[in-house]
Amino acid sequence: MKITSIQKIATIIIICSGIFGLITVNGCVESKQVAAKSGAQLWGENCSRCHNMPAPATFSQEQWKTVGMHMQSRALLTNKEKDKIVEFLQQSSN
Amino acid sequence: MKPNKLITKVLLFAVFAFLKANTSIAQGTDNTDVSKQVSALKPGESNFMMVGLVTFGFVNQNITTTGLSPNKTNSIGDADRYEFSPMFLWRHGDKLLAEFEPSWDGNAIGVNWADVSYYVAPGFIVRGGYLVLPFGTYSKRLAAGWINKLPSDPYGMDMPGSDFGVEVEGGFPLGSMKWSYDIAVSNGFQLNPNGQIAGVGINAINNGKTVTGRLALLPLSNSSLEIGVSGLMGSLATPTGDSNIYNNPMASMYAVDFNFIKNINPVQINIKGQYNISNINKQTYSSPDSSLPKYSFENNASSYFAQLSLRPSKSKNKILRNFELAGRYVNYTTPKQSLWGQNYSEMDICLDYWLSWRTVIKLGYESTKSDGTTSQSVSTGLDGTSTTVNRMIIQFSTEF
Repeated sequence: MKITSIQKIATIIIICSGIFGLITVNGCVESKQVAAKSGAQLWGENCSRCHNMPAPATFSQEQWKTVGMHMQSRALLTNKEKDKIVEFLQQSSN
Repeated sequence: MKPNKLITKVLLFAVFAFLKANTSIAQGTDNTDVSKQVSALKPGESNFMMVGLVTFGFVNQNITTTGLSPNKTNSIGDADRYEFSPMFLWRHGDKLLAEFEPSWDGNAIGVNWADVSYYVAPGFIVRGGYLVLPFGTYSKRLAAGWINKLPSDPYGMDMPGSDFGVEVEGGFPLGSMKWSYDIAVSNGFQLNPNGQIAGVGINAINNGKTVTGRLALLPLSNSSLEIGVSGLMGSLATPTGDSNIYNNPMASMYAVDFNFIKNINPVQINIKGQYNISNINKQTYSSPDSSLPKYSFENNASSYFAQLSLRPSKSKNKILRNFELAGRYVNYTTPKQSLWGQNYSEMDICLDYWLSWRTVIKLGYESTKSDGTTSQSVSTGLDGTSTTVNRMIIQFSTEF
């Protein structure tokens, strides 16, 4: 496949994704199934996308809050996911 | 007053004074303890912490180049893969986070990122400073030695890297799915005399800025699949700032990335990949030999990697579940007829042993092959030459 063809396809994908995002941005609501997930479950599902699941005892409660903000940005977690994961790690870190 | 009554009153006063004093001391002690406990429990406004990573190892490699004698080398420290990178995080309240990661690679100290983020609202983070551009996922998420399951970075994945700019990003739920966006405007790049691009740094010598963005969708409710598309577009500066050397140089890049995790008891399977292409519009370049005429070439490059790793993480055997086997194929094609033209391919295999969730020992084998495609009219050194490198690596990496 020529690079110019790939560029066109990629451009179309980006534009379509942008339109899709704009249309759905106001309807960004989680399903009941997702809303019911615990912090432990989200910790297992999201952290392992890139690395092993971190041990809760690794950091203090305050440090987990800081790490949570850093990781929200890296993995682009939703706000609720970040809050639940940090809460779980804080509670389990004692 | 009778002596007995006087003595009784004095004693009563003494007892009262003693009790009063003790009560005050006890109350004071209680107050201090409670104060300490409350202070310990009270969330701080600020939190400063240092984490980071270190990666080092040993490499033994055989290099064979067409027309040259084979060359064997070995090195402790592993110059191409050594890294010591402390990361400083400073959080102010729950809205502001400053991040700074310097890095020493054994030769020089560089900076991976130095930025400040403001968490404006759910799904809306604003960042400014020296930041990792949102292009694909490798540079931003997977490059750390303790995250990368193989000893080396896949060749050709280091562009566009970090740049000075501003960025907005966020993640949102979408029913049982999720999506995320990440867009940055930065100073951008300059076009070097050989046709390669490099960051202009903090002193931008062109007025045009570069826009980089990534959109991602996680279509499965357990976030096990992520597909992202990225794009970069911007005008290019010249190293001297003289815009007459080139004809309105522009760069565009695109990437598709993929990540999938599946647990088939007791094995966790992880498949990752990223495909990058870059294009710089047609330009005429000066030959390094001034006696030769100017030359031109199609300045297109592409790179990709595909990676599979298997870990029996649910195995009942405590030793076995710490092993992970990873394999990867890398391809990088740079422009034919350019001074840096080559067709590069690499096959890697690695056995990891995880000492903890963030500490790993890797035993890897890498086999690379590079065929030069440089124009003979520009340089006679590389065209038609073929270089193969076979290397064995033992590597230790940890996050601290």
